[in-house]
Amino acid sequence: MSEPLIAANQVSVYAGGTHILDRVSVAVHPREIVTLIGPNGSGKTTLLKAILGLMPAQGEIKRRPGLKIGYVPQQFDRDPSLPMAVAGFLALFAPACAAKAALARVGVAQVNNRQLGALSGGELARVLLARAIAGRPDLLVLDEPMAGVDVSGEAALYHLIAEIRDEFGCGVLLVSHDLHVVMAQADRVVCLNRHVCCEGDAHAVVRDPAFVALFGARAAGELALYAHHHDHAHAPSGETEPVRNG
Amino acid sequence: MGAAAGPIGCFVLWRRMAYLGESVAHMGLLGAGLGLLIGINVLVGTAALAIVAALVMARAGDRIIPAGTFVGIVGHMGLALGFILLATMETVRADLLGYLFGDVLALSASDVAVIAAASLGVLAVTALLWRPLLRAAVGGDIATAEGHGGRWVQAAFLVLVALLVAFGLKVVGALLIVALLIIPPAAARPFARTPEAMAVIAAAAGALAAPLGLAAAYATDAPAGPCIVLAAGAIFAASALGSQLGRIFAKFR
Repeated sequence: MSEPLIAANQVSVYAGGTHILDRVSVAVHPREIVTLIGPNGSGKTTLLKAILGLMPAQGEIKRRPGLKIGYVPQQFDRDPSLPMAVAGFLALFAPACAAKAALARVGVAQVNNRQLGALSGGELARVLLARAIAGRPDLLVLDEPMAGVDVSGEAALYHLIAEIRDEFGCGVLLVSHDLHVVMAQADRVVCLNRHVCCEGDAHAVVRDPAFVALFGARAAGELALYAHHHDHAHAPSGETEPVRNG
Repeated sequence: MGAAAGPIGCFVLWRRMAYLGESVAHMGLLGAGLGLLIGINVLVGTAALAIVAALVMARAGDRIIPAGTFVGIVGHMGLALGFILLATMETVRADLLGYLFGDVLALSASDVAVIAAASLGVLAVTALLWRPLLRAAVGGDIATAEGHGGRWVQAAFLVLVALLVAFGLKVVGALLIVALLIIPPAAARPFARTPEAMAVIAAAAGALAAPLGLAAAYATDAPAGPCIVLAAGAIFAASALGSQLGRIFAKFR
Protein backbone atom coordinates (compact mmCIF):
# COMPACT_ATOMS: atom_id res chain seq x y z
CA MET A 1 0.00 0.00 0.00
CA SER A 2 1.14 3.59 -0.53
CA GLU A 3 2.75 5.72 2.13
CA PRO A 4 0.25 6.62 4.89
CA LEU A 5 -1.06 10.19 5.17
CA ILE A 6 -0.71 10.01 8.88
CA ALA A 7 0.50 7.27 11.19
CA ALA A 8 0.39 7.02 14.95
CA ASN A 9 2.87 4.51 16.28
CA GLN A 10 2.60 3.17 19.83
CA VAL A 11 0.91 6.33 21.10
CA SER A 12 0.17 6.52 24.83
CA VAL A 13 -1.58 9.22 26.84
CA TYR A 14 -1.59 9.28 30.63
CA ALA A 15 -3.80 11.51 32.72
CA GLY A 16 -4.74 11.39 36.37
CA GLY A 17 -2.51 8.37 36.91
CA THR A 18 -4.24 6.13 34.39
CA HIS A 19 -3.73 5.26 30.79
CA ILE A 20 -6.23 6.92 28.51
CA LEU A 21 -4.43 5.40 25.58
CA ASP A 22 -2.06 2.49 25.81
CA ARG A 23 0.35 2.01 22.90
CA VAL A 24 -2.15 2.61 20.14
CA SER A 25 -1.08 2.41 16.54
CA VAL A 26 -3.26 3.49 13.66
CA ALA A 27 -2.59 4.73 10.13
CA VAL A 28 -4.67 6.31 7.39
CA HIS A 29 -3.73 5.90 3.74
CA PRO A 30 -4.90 8.01 0.79
CA ARG A 31 -8.51 7.30 -0.25
CA GLU A 32 -9.11 5.19 2.83
CA ILE A 33 -11.91 5.61 5.38
CA VAL A 34 -10.74 4.49 8.81
CA THR A 35 -13.36 4.51 11.52
CA LEU A 36 -12.59 4.47 15.23
CA ILE A 37 -15.28 2.87 17.32
CA GLY A 38 -15.42 2.09 21.00
CA PRO A 39 -17.51 2.71 24.10
CA ASN A 40 -17.61 6.01 25.98
CA GLY A 41 -14.30 6.79 27.60
CA SER A 42 -12.40 4.46 25.31
CA GLY A 43 -10.08 7.25 24.18
CA LYS A 44 -11.39 7.86 20.66
CA THR A 45 -11.39 11.65 20.91
CA THR A 46 -8.13 11.60 22.85
CA LEU A 47 -6.49 9.62 20.05
CA LEU A 48 -7.69 12.11 17.44
CA LYS A 49 -6.44 15.03 19.50
CA ALA A 50 -3.07 13.38 20.04
CA ILE A 51 -2.77 12.70 16.31
CA LEU A 52 -3.68 16.31 15.52
CA GLY A 53 -1.14 17.64 18.02
CA LEU A 54 -3.83 19.13 20.27
CA MET A 55 -2.78 17.03 23.22
CA PRO A 56 0.64 15.91 24.46
CA ALA A 57 1.26 12.21 23.92
CA GLN A 58 4.06 9.71 24.05
CA GLY A 59 4.96 7.74 20.98
CA GLU A 60 5.48 8.63 17.38
CA ILE A 61 3.11 10.52 15.11
CA LYS A 62 4.23 10.79 11.51
CA ARG A 63 2.56 13.07 9.00
CA ARG A 64 3.26 13.05 5.32
CA PRO A 65 5.15 16.31 4.65
CA GLY A 66 2.82 19.14 3.65
CA LEU A 67 -0.27 17.22 4.68
CA LYS A 68 -3.41 19.36 4.58
CA ILE A 69 -5.95 18.45 7.24
CA GLY A 70 -9.64 19.28 7.46
CA TYR A 71 -10.92 18.85 11.01
CA VAL A 72 -14.45 18.64 12.34
CA PRO A 73 -14.31 18.67 16.15
CA GLN A 74 -16.78 16.85 18.37
CA GLN A 75 -17.89 20.06 20.02
CA PHE A 76 -18.27 23.38 18.34
CA ASP A 77 -19.31 26.21 20.63
CA ARG A 78 -21.30 28.93 18.98
CA ASP A 79 -20.98 31.85 21.34
CA PRO A 80 -24.17 33.90 21.08
CA SER A 81 -22.14 37.07 21.59
CA LEU A 82 -20.37 36.51 18.27
CA PRO A 83 -22.40 37.76 15.32
CA MET A 84 -21.31 35.78 12.28
CA ALA A 85 -22.96 34.49 9.15
CA VAL A 86 -22.09 31.12 7.64
CA ALA A 87 -20.42 32.84 4.68
CA GLY A 88 -18.23 34.92 6.97
CA PHE A 89 -17.27 31.87 8.98
CA LEU A 90 -16.26 29.88 5.92
CA ALA A 91 -14.39 32.85 4.46
CA LEU A 92 -12.00 32.73 7.41
CA PHE A 93 -10.73 29.38 6.20
CA ALA A 94 -11.19 29.26 2.42
CA PRO A 95 -11.73 31.51 -0.61
CA ALA A 96 -15.37 32.52 -1.05
CA CYS A 97 -15.95 30.50 -4.24
CA ALA A 98 -14.51 27.31 -2.74
CA ALA A 99 -16.60 27.85 0.38
CA LYS A 100 -19.79 28.29 -1.64
CA ALA A 101 -19.08 25.20 -3.70
CA ALA A 102 -18.41 23.16 -0.56
CA LEU A 103 -21.63 24.36 1.01
CA ALA A 104 -23.57 23.33 -2.09
CA ARG A 105 -21.75 19.99 -2.18
CA VAL A 106 -22.94 19.06 1.31
CA GLY A 107 -26.43 20.19 0.43
CA VAL A 108 -26.91 23.34 2.50
CA ALA A 109 -26.28 26.13 -0.03
CA GLN A 110 -29.35 27.93 1.31
CA VAL A 111 -27.79 28.68 4.73
CA ASN A 112 -24.97 30.82 3.28
CA ASN A 113 -26.31 34.07 4.72
CA ARG A 114 -27.76 32.71 7.94
CA GLN A 115 -26.18 33.48 11.30
CA LEU A 116 -24.20 30.58 12.82
CA GLY A 117 -26.33 30.74 15.94
CA ALA A 118 -29.53 30.26 13.94
CA LEU A 119 -28.53 26.92 12.38
CA SER A 120 -30.07 23.64 13.45
CA GLY A 121 -27.79 20.85 14.66
CA GLY A 122 -27.99 19.07 11.32
CA GLU A 123 -27.25 22.22 9.36
CA LEU A 124 -24.32 23.03 11.61
CA ALA A 125 -22.88 19.53 11.13
CA ARG A 126 -23.02 20.04 7.37
CA VAL A 127 -21.57 23.55 7.54
CA LEU A 128 -18.65 22.23 9.60
CA LEU A 129 -18.12 19.46 7.06
CA ALA A 130 -18.26 22.04 4.26
CA ARG A 131 -15.65 24.13 6.06
CA ALA A 132 -13.38 21.12 6.41
CA ILE A 133 -13.58 20.15 2.71
CA ALA A 134 -13.47 23.70 1.33
CA GLY A 135 -9.68 23.80 1.79
CA ARG A 136 -9.29 20.59 -0.28
CA PRO A 137 -7.63 18.59 2.49
CA ASP A 138 -5.58 15.42 1.97
CA LEU A 139 -7.03 14.06 5.19
CA LEU A 140 -10.43 14.63 6.75
CA VAL A 141 -10.55 14.12 10.52
CA LEU A 142 -14.11 13.87 11.80
CA ASP A 143 -14.88 13.49 15.49
CA GLU A 144 -18.46 12.30 15.79
CA PRO A 145 -19.69 14.66 13.11
CA MET A 146 -23.23 13.40 13.67
CA ALA A 147 -23.97 15.22 16.92
CA GLY A 148 -27.34 16.88 16.51
CA VAL A 149 -28.14 14.97 13.34
CA ASP A 150 -31.24 12.78 13.34
CA VAL A 151 -31.02 9.12 12.43
CA SER A 152 -32.10 9.44 8.81
CA GLY A 153 -29.73 12.38 8.38
CA GLU A 154 -26.87 10.31 9.78
CA ALA A 155 -26.99 7.69 7.07
CA ALA A 156 -27.13 10.40 4.43
CA LEU A 157 -24.17 12.18 5.98
CA TYR A 158 -22.05 9.02 6.09
CA HIS A 159 -22.93 8.38 2.51
CA LEU A 160 -21.86 11.93 1.72
CA ILE A 161 -18.52 11.40 3.47
CA ALA A 162 -17.87 8.35 1.29
CA GLU A 163 -18.79 10.34 -1.83
CA ILE A 164 -16.48 13.14 -0.82
CA ARG A 165 -13.67 10.63 -0.40
CA ASP A 166 -14.30 9.36 -3.94
CA GLU A 167 -14.41 12.86 -5.41
CA PHE A 168 -11.53 14.44 -3.55
CA GLY A 169 -9.38 11.37 -3.14
CA CYS A 170 -8.70 12.24 0.49
CA GLY A 171 -8.24 9.89 3.41
CA VAL A 172 -10.81 9.98 6.21
CA LEU A 173 -10.28 9.33 9.90
CA LEU A 174 -13.63 9.16 11.61
CA VAL A 175 -14.87 8.62 15.14
CA SER A 176 -18.36 7.32 15.54
CA HIS A 177 -20.80 5.72 17.90
CA ASP A 178 -23.19 4.45 15.31
CA LEU A 179 -22.07 0.98 14.37
CA HIS A 180 -24.58 0.26 11.65
CA VAL A 181 -23.84 3.14 9.37
CA VAL A 182 -20.13 2.98 10.06
CA MET A 183 -20.01 -0.60 8.93
CA ALA A 184 -21.67 0.29 5.67
CA GLN A 185 -19.12 2.95 4.69
CA ALA A 186 -15.81 2.25 6.38
CA ASP A 187 -12.95 0.52 4.64
CA ARG A 188 -11.27 -0.27 7.88
CA VAL A 189 -12.57 -0.25 11.42
CA VAL A 190 -10.40 0.16 14.49
CA CYS A 191 -12.09 -0.92 17.66
CA LEU A 192 -10.63 1.04 20.56
CA ASN A 193 -10.87 0.59 24.29
CA ARG A 194 -7.77 2.38 25.53
CA HIS A 195 -5.85 -0.11 23.47
CA VAL A 196 -6.64 -1.41 20.01
CA CYS A 197 -9.01 -4.30 20.60
CA CYS A 198 -9.25 -5.37 17.05
CA GLU A 199 -9.05 -3.85 13.64
CA GLY A 200 -9.55 -4.70 10.05
CA ASP A 201 -12.16 -4.90 7.36
CA ALA A 202 -15.57 -3.89 8.74
CA HIS A 203 -17.10 -7.31 8.27
CA ALA A 204 -14.16 -9.07 9.82
CA VAL A 205 -14.20 -6.78 12.86
CA VAL A 206 -17.82 -7.58 13.59
CA ARG A 207 -16.87 -11.22 13.84
CA ASP A 208 -13.91 -10.51 16.07
CA PRO A 209 -14.36 -11.82 19.61
CA ALA A 210 -12.99 -8.58 21.06
CA PHE A 211 -15.64 -6.62 19.25
CA VAL A 212 -18.34 -8.93 20.52
CA ALA A 213 -17.00 -8.54 24.05
CA LEU A 214 -17.06 -4.78 23.79
CA PHE A 215 -20.40 -4.21 22.17
CA GLY A 216 -22.26 -7.30 23.21
CA ALA A 217 -23.30 -10.26 21.15
CA ARG A 218 -26.58 -8.62 20.25
CA ALA A 219 -25.07 -5.58 18.58
CA ALA A 220 -22.55 -7.76 16.84
CA GLY A 221 -25.26 -10.22 15.91
CA GLU A 222 -27.38 -7.49 14.41
CA LEU A 223 -24.44 -6.42 12.36
CA ALA A 224 -23.14 -9.77 11.30
CA LEU A 225 -25.50 -12.40 12.67
CA TYR A 226 -22.40 -14.05 13.90
CA ALA A 227 -20.85 -14.48 17.31
CA HIS A 228 -18.41 -16.74 19.01
CA HIS A 229 -16.15 -17.00 22.05
CA HIS A 230 -13.45 -14.49 22.86
CA ASP A 231 -10.13 -14.69 24.62
CA HIS A 232 -10.36 -11.67 26.91
CA ALA A 233 -13.01 -9.69 28.70
CA HIS A 234 -13.07 -6.04 29.78
CA ALA A 235 -13.01 -4.99 33.40
CA PRO A 236 -14.83 -1.74 34.18
CA SER A 237 -11.43 -0.02 34.23
CA GLY A 238 -10.96 -0.93 30.61
CA GLU A 239 -8.14 -3.32 31.37
CA THR A 240 -8.33 -6.66 29.71
CA GLU A 241 -8.67 -9.82 31.73
CA PRO A 242 -8.70 -13.45 30.65
CA VAL A 243 -12.10 -15.05 30.35
CA ARG A 244 -12.74 -17.51 33.14
CA ASN A 245 -13.59 -20.97 32.01
CA GLY A 246 -17.03 -22.27 32.79
CA MET B 1 -7.69 53.95 24.87
CA GLY B 2 -11.42 53.53 24.87
CA ALA B 3 -11.39 52.88 21.13
CA ALA B 4 -8.69 50.21 21.42
CA ALA B 5 -10.51 48.47 24.25
CA GLY B 6 -13.59 47.95 22.06
CA PRO B 7 -12.24 45.52 19.44
CA ILE B 8 -9.99 43.59 21.84
CA GLY B 9 -12.90 43.48 24.25
CA CYS B 10 -14.96 41.78 21.54
CA PHE B 11 -12.52 38.87 21.58
CA VAL B 12 -12.58 38.81 25.37
CA LEU B 13 -16.37 38.51 25.15
CA TRP B 14 -16.42 35.92 22.35
CA ARG B 15 -13.88 33.76 24.13
CA ARG B 16 -15.51 34.29 27.54
CA MET B 17 -12.28 35.47 29.06
CA ALA B 18 -13.51 38.38 31.19
CA TYR B 19 -12.34 36.59 34.30
CA LEU B 20 -8.83 36.18 32.93
CA GLY B 21 -8.76 39.90 32.13
CA GLU B 22 -9.81 40.66 35.68
CA SER B 23 -7.01 38.57 37.13
CA VAL B 24 -4.48 40.05 34.74
CA ALA B 25 -5.53 43.49 35.97
CA HIS B 26 -5.03 42.36 39.56
CA MET B 27 -1.55 41.17 38.71
CA GLY B 28 -1.00 44.51 37.02
CA LEU B 29 -1.34 46.16 40.41
CA LEU B 30 1.47 43.97 41.71
CA GLY B 31 3.44 44.96 38.63
CA ALA B 32 2.93 48.63 39.42
CA GLY B 33 4.15 48.05 42.96
CA LEU B 34 7.21 46.11 41.83
CA GLY B 35 7.93 48.76 39.22
CA LEU B 36 7.98 51.45 41.89
CA LEU B 37 10.04 49.24 44.20
CA ILE B 38 12.87 48.62 41.78
CA GLY B 39 12.62 52.07 40.31
CA ILE B 40 11.50 51.42 36.74
CA ASN B 41 8.64 53.15 35.01
CA VAL B 42 5.35 52.05 36.60
CA LEU B 43 3.76 51.50 33.19
CA VAL B 44 6.60 49.22 32.13
CA GLY B 45 6.40 47.23 35.36
CA THR B 46 2.65 46.88 35.07
CA ALA B 47 2.75 45.84 31.43
CA ALA B 48 5.58 43.34 31.97
CA LEU B 49 3.90 41.56 34.87
CA ALA B 50 0.51 41.65 33.17
CA ILE B 51 1.94 39.98 30.06
CA VAL B 52 3.71 37.28 32.07
CA ALA B 53 0.57 36.71 34.15
CA ALA B 54 -1.66 36.44 31.08
CA LEU B 55 0.60 33.93 29.36
CA VAL B 56 1.01 31.81 32.48
CA MET B 57 -2.63 31.90 33.56
CA ALA B 58 -3.94 30.97 30.12
CA ARG B 59 -2.20 27.61 30.52
CA ALA B 60 -3.60 27.10 33.99
CA GLY B 61 -5.76 24.36 35.36
CA ASP B 62 -5.49 20.64 35.79
CA ARG B 63 -7.95 17.82 36.26
CA ILE B 64 -9.18 18.72 39.74
CA ILE B 65 -8.72 22.49 40.02
CA PRO B 66 -10.60 24.26 37.21
CA ALA B 67 -8.68 26.87 35.25
CA GLY B 68 -10.99 29.67 36.41
CA THR B 69 -10.34 28.91 40.05
CA PHE B 70 -6.60 28.79 39.51
CA VAL B 71 -6.67 32.07 37.62
CA GLY B 72 -8.72 33.63 40.43
CA ILE B 73 -6.27 32.45 43.07
CA VAL B 74 -3.24 33.82 41.26
CA GLY B 75 -4.99 37.08 40.37
CA HIS B 76 -6.17 37.78 43.90
CA MET B 77 -2.77 36.90 45.34
CA GLY B 78 -1.36 39.50 42.96
CA LEU B 79 -3.95 42.04 44.05
CA ALA B 80 -3.30 41.45 47.75
CA LEU B 81 0.47 41.48 47.39
CA GLY B 82 0.39 44.51 45.11
CA PHE B 83 -1.82 46.40 47.54
CA ILE B 84 0.48 45.61 50.48
CA LEU B 85 3.53 46.59 48.46
CA LEU B 86 2.02 49.92 47.45
CA ALA B 87 0.75 50.58 50.97
CA THR B 88 4.22 50.18 52.45
CA MET B 89 5.62 52.86 50.19
CA GLU B 90 5.32 56.23 51.88
CA THR B 91 5.21 58.14 48.64
CA VAL B 92 2.29 56.33 47.07
CA ARG B 93 0.13 55.46 50.04
CA ALA B 94 -2.04 58.51 49.51
CA ASP B 95 -2.42 57.52 45.88
CA LEU B 96 -3.59 53.95 46.55
CA LEU B 97 -7.15 54.62 45.45
CA GLY B 98 -5.75 55.87 42.18
CA TYR B 99 -4.33 52.44 41.44
CA LEU B 100 -7.59 50.70 42.30
CA PHE B 101 -10.05 53.08 40.66
CA GLY B 102 -7.88 55.11 38.32
CA ASP B 103 -6.73 58.67 38.40
CA VAL B 104 -6.94 60.15 34.93
CA LEU B 105 -6.41 63.68 36.13
CA ALA B 106 -3.07 62.83 37.72
CA LEU B 107 -1.62 61.61 34.43
CA SER B 108 1.26 63.65 33.11
CA ALA B 109 1.35 64.77 29.50
CA SER B 110 3.98 62.16 28.73
CA ASP B 111 1.86 59.44 30.39
CA VAL B 112 -1.04 60.41 28.18
CA ALA B 113 1.18 60.28 25.10
CA VAL B 114 2.52 56.83 26.03
CA ILE B 115 -0.97 55.47 26.73
CA ALA B 116 -2.32 56.91 23.50
CA ALA B 117 0.59 55.48 21.51
CA ALA B 118 0.22 52.06 23.15
CA SER B 119 -3.53 52.07 22.47
CA LEU B 120 -2.99 52.94 18.83
CA GLY B 121 -0.40 50.19 18.66
CA VAL B 122 -2.78 47.63 20.13
CA LEU B 123 -5.49 48.77 17.72
CA ALA B 124 -3.15 48.49 14.73
CA VAL B 125 -1.92 45.01 15.70
CA THR B 126 -5.51 43.89 16.27
CA ALA B 127 -6.46 45.08 12.79
CA LEU B 128 -3.39 43.40 11.30
CA LEU B 129 -4.02 40.08 13.02
CA TRP B 130 -7.79 40.29 12.61
CA ARG B 131 -8.28 37.14 10.54
CA PRO B 132 -6.05 34.80 12.58
CA LEU B 133 -7.45 36.22 15.83
CA LEU B 134 -11.00 35.66 14.63
CA ARG B 135 -10.15 32.20 13.31
CA ALA B 136 -8.77 31.22 16.71
CA ALA B 137 -11.75 32.74 18.53
CA VAL B 138 -14.43 31.07 16.45
CA GLY B 139 -12.67 27.86 15.46
CA GLY B 140 -10.85 26.99 18.67
CA ASP B 141 -8.98 23.75 18.13
CA ILE B 142 -9.72 23.77 14.41
CA ALA B 143 -7.14 26.47 13.72
CA THR B 144 -4.47 24.64 15.74
CA ALA B 145 -5.25 21.24 14.25
CA GLU B 146 -5.12 22.47 10.67
CA GLY B 147 -1.91 24.41 11.22
CA HIS B 148 -3.31 27.94 11.06
CA GLY B 149 -0.99 28.98 13.88
CA GLY B 150 -3.42 28.63 16.75
CA ARG B 151 -0.82 28.82 19.49
CA TRP B 152 1.07 31.95 18.57
CA VAL B 153 -2.18 33.74 17.81
CA GLN B 154 -3.38 32.85 21.29
CA ALA B 155 -0.15 34.24 22.77
CA ALA B 156 -0.43 37.43 20.70
CA PHE B 157 -4.02 37.90 21.83
CA LEU B 158 -3.04 37.53 25.49
CA VAL B 159 -0.22 40.06 25.09
CA LEU B 160 -2.66 42.55 23.53
CA VAL B 161 -5.13 42.07 26.39
CA ALA B 162 -2.35 42.44 28.96
CA LEU B 163 -1.02 45.63 27.35
CA LEU B 164 -4.45 47.17 27.25
CA VAL B 165 -5.14 46.20 30.85
CA ALA B 166 -1.78 47.56 31.99
CA PHE B 167 -2.22 50.91 30.30
CA GLY B 168 -5.85 51.15 31.29
CA LEU B 169 -4.88 50.61 34.90
CA LYS B 170 -3.71 54.20 35.15
CA VAL B 171 -6.95 55.46 33.66
CA VAL B 172 -9.74 53.54 35.37
CA GLY B 173 -7.82 51.41 37.87
CA ALA B 174 -7.24 47.72 38.50
CA LEU B 175 -10.74 47.06 39.75
CA LEU B 176 -12.57 48.67 36.85
CA ILE B 177 -10.44 48.14 33.74
CA VAL B 178 -12.22 44.96 32.65
CA ALA B 179 -15.44 46.97 32.49
CA LEU B 180 -13.97 48.93 29.59
CA LEU B 181 -13.13 45.65 27.87
CA ILE B 182 -16.56 44.04 28.11
CA ILE B 183 -19.14 46.83 28.23
CA PRO B 184 -18.55 48.46 24.81
CA PRO B 185 -18.69 45.12 22.92
CA ALA B 186 -21.79 44.12 24.85
CA ALA B 187 -23.37 47.45 23.87
CA ALA B 188 -22.39 46.85 20.25
CA ARG B 189 -23.70 43.27 20.02
CA PRO B 190 -27.42 43.94 19.31
CA PHE B 191 -26.56 46.16 16.35
CA ALA B 192 -23.94 43.98 14.71
CA ARG B 193 -24.47 41.26 12.10
CA THR B 194 -20.75 40.66 11.50
CA PRO B 195 -17.75 40.50 13.84
CA GLU B 196 -16.19 43.45 12.01
CA ALA B 197 -19.25 45.63 12.58
CA MET B 198 -19.28 44.65 16.24
CA ALA B 199 -15.63 45.66 16.66
CA VAL B 200 -16.16 49.02 14.97
CA ILE B 201 -19.29 49.84 16.98
CA ALA B 202 -17.55 48.71 20.17
CA ALA B 203 -14.60 50.96 19.38
CA ALA B 204 -16.97 53.88 18.86
CA ALA B 205 -18.82 53.11 22.10
CA GLY B 206 -15.53 52.92 24.00
CA ALA B 207 -14.32 56.17 22.45
CA LEU B 208 -17.61 57.84 23.37
CA ALA B 209 -17.56 56.63 26.99
CA ALA B 210 -14.30 58.43 27.85
CA PRO B 211 -15.31 62.04 27.06
CA LEU B 212 -18.83 61.41 28.40
CA GLY B 213 -17.43 60.12 31.67
CA LEU B 214 -14.89 62.93 31.93
CA ALA B 215 -17.59 65.51 31.33
CA ALA B 216 -19.75 63.94 34.01
CA ALA B 217 -16.80 63.87 36.41
CA TYR B 218 -16.06 67.50 35.68
CA ALA B 219 -19.68 68.51 36.20
CA THR B 220 -20.19 66.59 39.43
CA ASP B 221 -16.65 66.64 40.82
CA ALA B 222 -16.82 62.84 41.06
CA PRO B 223 -13.77 60.57 40.48
CA ALA B 224 -13.08 60.35 36.75
CA GLY B 225 -12.33 56.63 36.33
CA PRO B 226 -15.61 55.36 37.79
CA CYS B 227 -17.45 58.05 35.82
CA ILE B 228 -16.00 56.70 32.57
CA VAL B 229 -17.13 53.18 33.51
CA LEU B 230 -20.59 54.46 34.40
CA ALA B 231 -20.76 56.28 31.08
CA ALA B 232 -19.96 53.00 29.32
CA GLY B 233 -22.68 51.34 31.37
CA ALA B 234 -25.14 54.05 30.33
CA ILE B 235 -24.26 53.44 26.68
CA PHE B 236 -24.90 49.73 27.20
CA ALA B 237 -28.26 50.45 28.83
CA ALA B 238 -29.21 52.75 25.96
CA SER B 239 -28.17 50.06 23.48
CA ALA B 240 -30.17 47.35 25.23
CA LEU B 241 -33.21 49.60 25.45
CA GLY B 242 -32.81 50.70 21.85
CA SER B 243 -32.62 47.16 20.52
CA GLN B 244 -35.69 46.14 22.54
CA LEU B 245 -37.67 49.11 21.24
CA GLY B 246 -36.48 48.33 17.73
CA ARG B 247 -37.79 44.80 18.08
CA ILE B 248 -41.17 46.02 19.35
CA PHE B 249 -41.52 48.51 16.51
CA ALA B 250 -40.55 45.85 14.00
CA LYS B 251 -43.46 43.73 15.25
CA PHE B 252 -45.97 46.49 14.65
CA ARG B 253 -44.72 47.40 11.23
